[in-house]
Amino acid sequence: MRIDFFLVMAALLFTVGCVGVLIRRNVIVILMCIELMLNAVNLTFIAFAHEMRSMAGHVFALFVITVAACEAAVGLAIVLALFRRRRTTNVDDVSLMRW
Amino acid sequence: MRLLTGLVLVVMAAAALRGLLPRRPGLTVLAAGIAALVLLGFYPQDLATSEFWAGAVGFVSILSALLIVMHPNPMVSVLFLILNLFCTALFFLMLQAQTLAVLQVIVYAGAIMVLFVFVIMLLNLRAEEGLRMSMGPQRWGAIGFGAAFAGLMFWALRHRHGAAYVEPKPFVEGFGTARDLGTLLFSDYVFATEAASVLLIAAMVGAVLLAKRRLE
Repeated sequence: MRIDFFLVMAALLFTVGCVGVLIRRNVIVILMCIELMLNAVNLTFIAFAHEMRSMAGHVFALFVITVAACEAAVGLAIVLALFRRRRTTNVDDVSLMRW
Repeated sequence: MRLLTGLVLVVMAAAALRGLLPRRPGLTVLAAGIAALVLLGFYPQDLATSEFWAGAVGFVSILSALLIVMHPNPMVSVLFLILNLFCTALFFLMLQAQTLAVLQVIVYAGAIMVLFVFVIMLLNLRAEEGLRMSMGPQRWGAIGFGAAFAGLMFWALRHRHGAAYVEPKPFVEGFGTARDLGTLLFSDYVFATEAASVLLIAAMVGAVLLAKRRLE
């Protein structure tokens, strides 16, 4: 089976996630779109692992899943801390950065 | 594939009808269901091909990805993200990555998505207003960027094969099984595995610190 179909699917999913990060203003939806992009990358890894007959792509996809889990945990903790202080999840309301 | 094209056209026609007749959702679903059944009667032999099922899963996957981005309510977005992750797990199965498909369902669609659902219910978020309002410059910029990005990727895919396509080697025994994945993880990639464990501990400590009542 040729893998071009899966590569096209991964490209489309990555593009949708990328546009979602840019147009949405809700932090949680932005995090979900990042998950979508990571998932598209995983699909590309697996597709090339299938064509190369090498399991290195599977190992990389596993590490991507690990990084996604860490990113979701830390990101959602930041969202909770932000909501506790500012009562908002809109990224435009927290554009001010200071220490 | 003719059946799949027909089904995609039916769904698009149903979406258009839904936009034209906002008061009659039941009629739209009924018409789409009858059209789909008629199509199934015309092309029953297409149901046996793997290309049809790959295309059907791809259609659901792209549709759910679009709904994640376009739906104003974050709770509905999470549910469509779970559907999308299941579709990706099916793709992994088609590409002979059984272990990764199972991990995708358990870790991604199970653990991570439960975290998202939990946070959204905890914050009690309402639907985002202004999603359907006039398009700002950033939104037009994002759509233009997305179109350019998709064009770039399709261009790269078109020019991927420098030489003629050669049929790859046959699969080795045990490709994609948990046994082979574990052997690789603890032989060739043992340093990366340990680094991933350190990363997980760091993320856990960071999350606990961020969840403290007072940040000092």
